[in-house]
Amino acid sequence: PCWGPRLVPTRGRKTRYDPPAKSKASRLKVPPPVDPEELVVITERYRQHRLVLGALRAEFRAEVLQKKREALLTQEDSARLLQEHQRLMAWNEEENARQRARREERLRKEEEEQRRQKLKAAETQARKREAFLKEREKEVLRLQEEAKTFITLENLDARIEECLDNPRNYNFAIDKEGRIVKRTMLS
Amino acid sequence: GSRLLKGYRGGHVVIRFARGGCTNRPFYRIVAAHSRRARDGKYLEQLGCLDPLPNSRGEKVAGLNLERLRHWLGCGAQLSPPAEKLLGLAGFLPLHPMTVTGAERLRRRRAQEAVAQPADG
Repeated sequence: PCWGPRLVPTRGRKTRYDPPAKSKASRLKVPPPVDPEELVVITERYRQHRLVLGALRAEFRAEVLQKKREALLTQEDSARLLQEHQRLMAWNEEENARQRARREERLRKEEEEQRRQKLKAAETQARKREAFLKEREKEVLRLQEEAKTFITLENLDARIEECLDNPRNYNFAIDKEGRIVKRTMLS
Repeated sequence: GSRLLKGYRGGHVVIRFARGGCTNRPFYRIVAAHSRRARDGKYLEQLGCLDPLPNSRGEKVAGLNLERLRHWLGCGAQLSPPAEKLLGLAGFLPLHPMTVTGAERLRRRRAQEAVAQPADG
């Protein structure tokens, strides 16, 4: 809270919920006076001081780390530990190489598989396309052939004459053995 | 429960003064402790001591273990302002700004009083 002249911090014998004494009713609490130029100078001095302190701390940190590293190196069984470490690193390297080989093999096979699939797909596509085109061509030829027997305005009269001249009889019967009987009562 | 093993949440290592001695006779030990510990409570390591009252020759005697100080500062210990001021005066750290400011203010006040004295007397 911002300490104004009203708020007085209670301490010691009284708790914070006890009211201040009557003798302090007219007390005006003001903070100590601050000289602005002095403040500027002091701020600058603090900045410099903290800079130097930070640098010193970094120096000491580096020292401590160096000591730790040295202690680690000059252990009693440092040679054995180093050897163990190297052996483990070599084993790790071997494992990595083995896995890499396996991975490459797998990738290569997958790539082959994919390429084959793509080729097959392309082939089937091409075949389907060709079949379709052939079908269509056959259709076209059939239609062309049929177009010769179509009735147009020129053929109309001739065809009508033809139909009238040749009457066709579609009446026939068929029995269970499949023999066709064309003789009817009407004909 | 047992007071031997107390755990805290947060906090950091501080190098500060732990007051010993008797009433009206202080004696400070420069100590590296956790910031949440009591002022005179369990500390990590004692790094020196300070007798704030001047001895028969008018000296204020202090002892410092600079090697261990460097170690703790390297481990990331903070300093309390009085500890900083003491180390500044000892020459291990640069002078604290408030030491210089205090000296300046004192000098100015003494100059003013010296001016005021002959004006009166």
